[in-house]
Amino acid sequence: MSTISTQLRNFKEPTKDQLTHVFFSIPEAPPVPAKDKEKHGSGEVETMEINAILSLGAQGVEDSYAGKLYLLPPYLAFSSLDRKSVRFTLPLSTVRRVERLNARAGVYALSLSTWHGMKIIVQLTSLRPTADLFCSLLREALKVELQRGQMKAVKGFVKTCYSEGLVSASGVSENEREDGSLITETKDGSPPPEVEFHGGLGLQFKFPGDPKKLREASKIKLWTTYLKNHGRNLTLLRYPQCTRLVQVGLPNRLRAEMWETLSGSIYLRYSNPGVYHQVLLDIEGKSSTSFEDIEKDLHRSLPEYAGYQADEGISALRRVLQAYSNRNPEVGYCQAMNILAAAILIYMSEEQAFWLLEVLCDRLLPGYYSTTMHGTLLDQRVFESLVARCLPMISDHFQEVDVQLSVASLPWFLSLYINSMPMVFAFRIVDCFFCMGPKVLFQVGLAILKINGEKLLQIQDDGGFLNLMREYFASLGDSAHPESADPRARAITRFQELLLISFREFAVITDDTILSERRKYRNEIVNSIESFNKRSAVRNLKTLGRFTKDQAGFIYDALYKAMCEVPPPPTAAPLPLLLTTANEGNQERVETRIGLQTFRVFLSEILTWARNERIVINGFQQRIDREVAEHELIVRLFYFWDESCKGSLSFQDLVYGLDGVMFNDLMENIEWFFNLHDKNKDGYLTKDEVLTLSESFLFIFRYEIGDAYLGAVSKFMTNAFEYGDSLLPHQTDGETGETGPQQIGHNQPYLNLATFRMVVLADEVLESFFETDLSASFRLDPVPDLELPPASSGFLGDLWSNIATQDNKKIFHKLSDELGKTIGKHQILYRPIIGRLTKLEEPTARESLISPSSIKTPLSGGSSDTLAASNSSSTLVVDALSNQDNDGPSSALASAAFSPMPHFRAVNAAFMERTPFAIDDAGDDDDDDSDLEMIDVDNDDQVMDEVDAFLEAHDSGLSEADKELAKDLLNASPVK
Amino acid sequence: MTDAASGSVDRSVQVKLVLLGEAAVGKSSVVLRFVSNEFQANKEPTIGAAFLTQKCRLEDRVLRYEIWDTAGQERFHSLAPMYYRNAQAAVVVYDVTKATSLEKAKSWVKELQRQANPNIVIALAGNKVDLVQTSPSSSGSSPSPESEDEADDATATPGEAPSASGGEPESLRQVPREEAQAYATEAGLLFFETSAKTGEGIVEIFTEIAKKIPIEHILASTRGSAGRSAGRVGGARQEVNLEEQQSKKDACNC
Ligand SMILES: Nc1nc2c(ncn2[C@@H]2O[C@H](COP(=O)(O)OP(=O)(O)OP(=O)(O)O)[C@@H](O)[C@H]2O)c(=O)[nH]1
Ligand SMILES: [Mg+2]
Repeated sequence: MSTISTQLRNFKEPTKDQLTHVFFSIPEAPPVPAKDKEKHGSGEVETMEINAILSLGAQGVEDSYAGKLYLLPPYLAFSSLDRKSVRFTLPLSTVRRVERLNARAGVYALSLSTWHGMKIIVQLTSLRPTADLFCSLLREALKVELQRGQMKAVKGFVKTCYSEGLVSASGVSENEREDGSLITETKDGSPPPEVEFHGGLGLQFKFPGDPKKLREASKIKLWTTYLKNHGRNLTLLRYPQCTRLVQVGLPNRLRAEMWETLSGSIYLRYSNPGVYHQVLLDIEGKSSTSFEDIEKDLHRSLPEYAGYQADEGISALRRVLQAYSNRNPEVGYCQAMNILAAAILIYMSEEQAFWLLEVLCDRLLPGYYSTTMHGTLLDQRVFESLVARCLPMISDHFQEVDVQLSVASLPWFLSLYINSMPMVFAFRIVDCFFCMGPKVLFQVGLAILKINGEKLLQIQDDGGFLNLMREYFASLGDSAHPESADPRARAITRFQELLLISFREFAVITDDTILSERRKYRNEIVNSIESFNKRSAVRNLKTLGRFTKDQAGFIYDALYKAMCEVPPPPTAAPLPLLLTTANEGNQERVETRIGLQTFRVFLSEILTWARNERIVINGFQQRIDREVAEHELIVRLFYFWDESCKGSLSFQDLVYGLDGVMFNDLMENIEWFFNLHDKNKDGYLTKDEVLTLSESFLFIFRYEIGDAYLGAVSKFMTNAFEYGDSLLPHQTDGETGETGPQQIGHNQPYLNLATFRMVVLADEVLESFFETDLSASFRLDPVPDLELPPASSGFLGDLWSNIATQDNKKIFHKLSDELGKTIGKHQILYRPIIGRLTKLEEPTARESLISPSSIKTPLSGGSSDTLAASNSSSTLVVDALSNQDNDGPSSALASAAFSPMPHFRAVNAAFMERTPFAIDDAGDDDDDDSDLEMIDVDNDDQVMDEVDAFLEAHDSGLSEADKELAKDLLNASPVK
Repeated sequence: MTDAASGSVDRSVQVKLVLLGEAAVGKSSVVLRFVSNEFQANKEPTIGAAFLTQKCRLEDRVLRYEIWDTAGQERFHSLAPMYYRNAQAAVVVYDVTKATSLEKAKSWVKELQRQANPNIVIALAGNKVDLVQTSPSSSGSSPSPESEDEADDATATPGEAPSASGGEPESLRQVPREEAQAYATEAGLLFFETSAKTGEGIVEIFTEIAKKIPIEHILASTRGSAGRSAGRVGGARQEVNLEEQQSKKDACNC
């Protein structure tokens, strides 16, 4: 694989706002059409949060909860203080009426009615002006929604949701009537065309599992009641009961809608009508490597399910996977996505599945399916650390016998347990996952290990571990306490036990835990992925040339660094693919190739004359500022190495190119330099090319001290033209009697290699340049860091040691420069590239020589004489070789500490603490479970018992007085 | 089954074997055939890796293969070292109807030779060979004409063996047997063409690997001694293996 990606370096920690959006499953960048921006002056949607107490408008159904109300147009969201008991995310377009309530003095309360007549009351408990501001912003935001016509879209959209039929069929027709009276705006609009509710393959091919055993009917009943009182789909309010009902397993028919509601993908589907079908149109007739991979796996996705033995299932799966891979080419297609997609398509329509897949891959499982799979690796690392913390005995034992946790746990996470457990059980974990978020995967994983703790302590190798897990998963349907005398205890399955332990004992694993653990290990994972990629890139080189692996690795590092600074343009995937011939292995992903800009940076890393090094002395510090040099010679080198003429260079091209120059002896270097300037490769330089070549010399020698190099170059030119002319067939000009140069054009073949060589060798300075300096100017050692730390540890020195981070450096440098200038000690020198000559002469003379004007002046003829003259008058100071053979930028700075990129390796010591639920007391906990109220009566009660098992204390965050007040509000009348 | 295997500390030698190769070339199918003599037309792609064990009798020894069947998709590549670390044997699988899969196989071999256990025994398997054979004649239970074919391919004339080298079914073939064989010889690999579907060549791979494994080394449980891997000259060994293959076909009875 020759793809090099710097994508992992672009990671940014999410901001607080982003986290809020994620928490409420609000899609990124809510669409604000341009015309609305104009209407409202400011394009920015005003967001605001405010303290509030939420009460449900129906008497006695739910407690009131204190929390925060967020206006995040086009959504209104609420979360209870504990962030888990109660929350909702309401699209503003579902709100039909907002009234200020007439209440006791000092109480500011709003009543909101949704399109189906559900009433919620929020008491704004912040200060009055804040509350006023919130109200006015809310009013504005609602107006915007009204003008966008979103209010009308609601009714059509909810028809696609199963719950609507559920609540109306069971006689809640008064909702319909009631909402008719509330909704005035939609009266004029023609009723939207009848759309059937969205459903999956299961409707046709049956749902997995035995409906009786799953107690579908009871669950539906419970849900119907819940949804009637608490809203549904777009308007669902999530109270503790909702979570508990999810924990006992969603009924099949409701699963699609609940999954998309709980995960928030419903908001994507709602706000992007028609997009899925547009994507399908877009990809018609397209092909890509992702599509090929998808095709391979279509018949290999839940093949035992009837729907995937039929064409309907296969084509639906193909469309959804292709559509997603097209929408997110960065991810494309990853094996395991086929299993997820196949699983959700049993319950969901294609469109629902498409959006859910997006939420899954982008938000819930970030980076899991990317080409580097860094998210997967990261979460495995996080899981490992959580095991070490929560189950230290198991972790220690695994370490002792060298068993890797992720051989088993990686597929758990990657396929949401669907690939590991019987489907009916896996789907229940998936239910919880969408409801409670990614932490569920960790909680379940920990519980699995804990339950099997004793046996795990016996295993000796990876294989034993996997076998044990396989047996355990196969037994999930069995009783957890088969020996128990109590029938209620016997009725508890091992799966129920698993969930109970997951959510009770590992409740300490919160979203925040996961986030902070991820933060801790991210760099470690990125580093290991990058070094792995480096090793395989080096290994996959067709030829290393004469380089060692380490040297090739260094070239890779330089390339990588350059790519981080100047990312290459995104590879136009289809084009190079078409260009490669079949036998070149078109299966191979597109090769990473860099453009000229990246090349410049790359070259500046390893080639001394491709960078400018300014030594800055300001009295406080001495440092070297490095910048990338710009010159036509570098462009020339770029195209010289681009042997396949693609206008870009691959890692291999760079290795090959460097190999062509770094190992050369005198003669080879002369030839290399000649070829570099012989554009049409005819073995001759034209006159123009001779001039360009001279410019190249001047560029390379631009910072050399003294006039020796300048002299050498002018001598070179004089000689080159002299010899060149003398070798031309002599023709006598009729008028002047002169022979020579004017006979041939500036772009005619003029100077061949032999002549060039002779001219070069005629000069001592050039000879030594080609002998050693040219090859030596390419260096495959790390460029030493740029600071020479302040020698004198004055106050700036101390300051320096305190603030020395990458970010601060620039500021510090600027500061010390400014200070240096004020005290007149600021000084900049350019560091010589070759540095053979050490006598300091005035730099200004040299500067002017490399300025274009001096070069562009016709150098043939008279002007070269002046140059030659200056040569004769200047003094050559060539240092003794003994002093110089080690010379060059790197050794000159050898004393300066080379500090590589700061390593953020996390310290593992943090895991010494042990938590109370160590494996040691596993036995006791198991007994607790049998105390659960499990009454062996069939129908609804049984489900309710299970629901009760998940009962947790829910803190409404309110005092008794507050609760009273909240109750009063239910009867309050609107303010006139 | 775990108990039986780990409990009895008899003469059985554990051999860790890893399967590598491009997605959907049939790695999992090869293992399934070897372990339970079955074939499933639609096997789910492997996520991460699967683990299976199988015993294999070789002369007086019993080898217990611990087989790691890995995921084939390119992006799972970075996980592979987790599975091939400490492996004593590897089967690198390609699909004879897909030229690119041989390229991928080669890069796996390269990686194994550089990164894995230096004594690792590597076998190259060209799978799905059933797709390029005339179905009625060769599926008739006799792999022996195939092995003869292997031994002296050059001498088999079309006239004498019309069944094996018939032109039409070969049209699906993208990797000529000779090409892969030549590569395997050069790289010092065992080589087989196999079919997980018909079972052809499957047992042979594992038997030949068993023979080539330096069992004494494993028993002595000392790894290293890079000197032994110097014998990776290939050519000579390859011949020996091919000869033996004919005689010991049912060495594996499990
Ligand atoms: N005709 C034929 N088909 C085969 C053979 N071996 C495997 N297949 C089919 O090829 C497909 C892929 O087989 P798998 O064994 O899952 O491939 P894999 O290499 O494990 O794939 P990944 O796990 O994705 O890396 C399946 O549909 C198999 O039925 C074979 O010998 N002959
Ligand atoms: Mg597989």
